[in-house]
Amino acid sequence: MSITVNIHQALRHLINNQATAEVSGTTVGECLADLVRQFPCIETKLFNKKGKLLHYVDIYVNLESSYPEELAKPVMDGDKLSITLMIAGG
Amino acid sequence: MLTVDELERYDRQIMLREIGEAGQEKLKRASVFIAGIGGLGSPAAIYLTVAGIGRIRLVDHDRVDRSNLNRQVLHWDNDIGRSKVKSATEKLKRLNPEVEIEAIEQTITEANLAELLTGFDLIVDAMDNLPTRYLLNKAALDNNIPFFHGAIYGFEGRAMTIIPHKTACLRCVYRGVIPEEKFPVIGVTPAVIGCIQATEVIKYIVGIGELLTNKLLNYDALNMEFTEFNVKKDPHCEHCSHMKTTG
Repeated sequence: MSITVNIHQALRHLINNQATAEVSGTTVGECLADLVRQFPCIETKLFNKKGKLLHYVDIYVNLESSYPEELAKPVMDGDKLSITLMIAGG
Repeated sequence: MLTVDELERYDRQIMLREIGEAGQEKLKRASVFIAGIGGLGSPAAIYLTVAGIGRIRLVDHDRVDRSNLNRQVLHWDNDIGRSKVKSATEKLKRLNPEVEIEAIEQTITEANLAELLTGFDLIVDAMDNLPTRYLLNKAALDNNIPFFHGAIYGFEGRAMTIIPHKTACLRCVYRGVIPEEKFPVIGVTPAVIGCIQATEVIKYIVGIGELLTNKLLNYDALNMEFTEFNVKKDPHCEHCSHMKTTG
């Protein structure tokens, strides 16, 4: 299972300044766990201490919001995940 | 009815078959509330003013600071320390004296928002914090006023158009708050997003094109990529789930 994850600009420095990473998994949660295995520094930027996705992190699967399933949402080989962060500047 | 001067001023856009004289008259009859006259509000207000919106209300409590000048293009060096709404109104009136510009130097709160919005057809969200954006979103839904969201951070921007009772709202997409902070930004980012917001407003008023509804547009300036994320109404949204959906 190869899934491409697009990483938000503000997090790219945590994955060697790459815009994307290749991960494997059958759910969003498994894919993010694989991302954390490859790049441990990103964990606290995505999850709280209880392992719950932070409320200002949004995950899209093939440009569709993963909410409300979020981590439980199934993914398939070739899917594209996007990790985005809320922004509010004006 | 357009005057001879207006026909001349707006000649190039009246030439557009999508606008024409009928569309220009719709723009003249429209009233737009712009919340925040900083990085996003400046370009949005400039292009709505030159397009010939009839009445624009600017609301902002802030004063011009030197650190605003890299992006808030309605405020100039000699405006430092002045009220932002006064500074902006002065320039906008010089850009287009045909447009009625109102300056309100106030902080937007839950208590004053309904009164501030009275008589306005559309809201442009050009704020710099989520709590006020949520107040505007809720007021837009409660008062059935289309709401044009924009936000930026660094080289990234977002835009989304919300039509009450019909489309996903801001609270369907964003479910929490983030701490208010001094955010990094280069002026070209809000310039692009503010212009997108103004474009959406013009299209909505005239009734043309496809709006950014149920879509969150993401602009990545570093890679010059525009991505449209599809969003849906959240059946548990605390702002709009109780409202009957139409259309």
